[in-house]
Amino acid sequence: MSAATGPAVTASAGESPGRRALRRFLRHRLAVFGAVVVLAFVLVALLAPWIAPYDPIETSWARIRRPPSEAHWFGTDENGRDVLSRLIWGARASLMAGVVSVLGAVLIGVPIGLLAGLAGGWVDTVISRIADAMLSVPFLILAIALAAFLGPALENAMLAIAITASPIFVRLARGMALDAASTDWVEAARSLGNPPWRTALVHVLPNIVPPLLVQSTLAIAEAIIAEASLSFLGLGQQPPAPSWGSMLNSAQRFLETAPWLAIAPGAAIFVVVLAFNLMGDGLRDALDPRGTRR
Amino acid sequence: MSEPILELRDVARAFPVRDALGRARGAVRAVDGVSLSVPEGSVLAIVGESGCGKSTLGRLMLRLIEPDRGAIRFMGEDLRALSPAALRRRRRDMQLIFQDPFASLDPRMTVEQAVAEPLRLHGIVPRAQEAARVAELLARVGLRPEQARRWPHEFSGGQRQRIAIARALASRPRLIVGDEPVSALDVSVQAQVVNLLQDLIAELGLTFVLISHDLGVVRHVADRVAVMYLGRIVEDGPTEAVFAAPRHPYTRALLASVPGQGGPGGGKVAVLEGDIPSPIDPPSGCRFRTRCPHAVPLCAETTPELEGAAHRVACHLADSLSPATPPRERDAGGERLRRLQGFFTDRANPAPSTGDRA
Repeated sequence: MSAATGPAVTASAGESPGRRALRRFLRHRLAVFGAVVVLAFVLVALLAPWIAPYDPIETSWARIRRPPSEAHWFGTDENGRDVLSRLIWGARASLMAGVVSVLGAVLIGVPIGLLAGLAGGWVDTVISRIADAMLSVPFLILAIALAAFLGPALENAMLAIAITASPIFVRLARGMALDAASTDWVEAARSLGNPPWRTALVHVLPNIVPPLLVQSTLAIAEAIIAEASLSFLGLGQQPPAPSWGSMLNSAQRFLETAPWLAIAPGAAIFVVVLAFNLMGDGLRDALDPRGTRR
Repeated sequence: MSEPILELRDVARAFPVRDALGRARGAVRAVDGVSLSVPEGSVLAIVGESGCGKSTLGRLMLRLIEPDRGAIRFMGEDLRALSPAALRRRRRDMQLIFQDPFASLDPRMTVEQAVAEPLRLHGIVPRAQEAARVAELLARVGLRPEQARRWPHEFSGGQRQRIAIARALASRPRLIVGDEPVSALDVSVQAQVVNLLQDLIAELGLTFVLISHDLGVVRHVADRVAVMYLGRIVEDGPTEAVFAAPRHPYTRALLASVPGQGGPGGGKVAVLEGDIPSPIDPPSGCRFRTRCPHAVPLCAETTPELEGAAHRVACHLADSLSPATPPRERDAGGERLRRLQGFFTDRANPAPSTGDRA
């Protein structure tokens, strides 16, 4: 490679890789839309006590399964509870489950993956085979088995999802660490006198954050669906506390007589998952080192 | 020049070659029994074709790759006996400059962080003086101190190589190994970086091992030259002696291949035919015999050892070969480089860092 074929000195001086990615992300219209929607849902979840029009668990025999009206925009459920209020409070459970379980998966998976990729040898073989074995079981089946084993509760569902989602991060971190380990700058780090742990944390980790970030956003979407599925099966959020999955669960008996009970949480899951996916795709494009066009 | 700061004795390293099922199918003998010594304050060049094991040898010297056998003594210490932690501490005295400046800098570290890293790792200056020391180092390699806050992707190849040099200098090492430090750069930039390296070597009294295939640069910079072929050193001696009177047939062929060396009418030296043989299955005896115009049956039987005092050669026929025809143009290989260097020094210290945007 000759010096002339390298990247030209950019016009914007002193721009860090992170800022450059942000600039490119902001030019990606759908991704920004996704981010805005995600942000809106986060705000709704945080502000639930103030914006929910009714108490989400207060029942009323006077208004059972009422269709949407001015008083109850999304109608009421089989116990006379306001669907909109339950949806708003349910956002807490769903987003929490998505974010916390993926955070857990990252915290479990990335250090193990880094270790496998950088240590190599039998350490790598053992870790990789375990990750492969876990990945060979369908995601939901494993999550359901773990959640059932741990007992029905939202915390246990999150833990189950975190463990189930972690092998993907092990594999990703291992692959990226292997790539990084063969580069000159990692060898340079070694030749300067960096101990292995410092090379891993100071040099390798920051360079593999972009793909991990992309994977995390996409995994949050999956985790939200998983939490909804577990709650639907009665393994996640326990009644009477609301979550989108458990709302769908109780709505299935009234699909013909009161479809709004299923439509509202179903649409909420759909929109949030779509928003996270759009955001993830945008992040992937913005952080792709080869994507110099944007 | 005095005591050797670095000494290698019979160092070898082979890389196993595996088939699709992971079974060993032989080994690439990248470096196969190399002995050499580098006196303190000298510049040793290691030359050879690509694939001859030069880069592996450079990394073995610094124990970035573990040798299979042999002894490495650095600053009077057996490098192979050091514990990992002791070896890391020792690294402040030995540094490596990489060939590709686009790959050797961590893309997520600013120039300042990169150059300060060795300072911090080895506790060389207090944190408060770090910025000043970095600025000093950047100025020394011809960059502006205010560029310290920038990122590697904002620089050209020549500038990046200057950053890498500043990083290598930061811990005040006794020995620097340059693995083809200029061959990835544009020709005009090469001359500037060679100038810089020469200045630094002279000024700081550096011991430098220059791994290169560019004979022009080597002749210009090195005190001694070691010629490598298929993992072994075939000739080793003072630069002028090797260039003026090469004794090994391979060295002769190598020198004859430098453009401008043959002159009008064409040189009489046979141009080498064929490729370098596979290091997985090297020829018996002298490894060069398959391409050597002078080979005799003896060459296939016994491996020649390096013999001689100051100017050593590993060839059974070294004494019976006709003396090499001295190159017609005395400094043929270095001519182009010299002109370029002159061009850049004449311009009274060109504005640092802007000059080498190729």
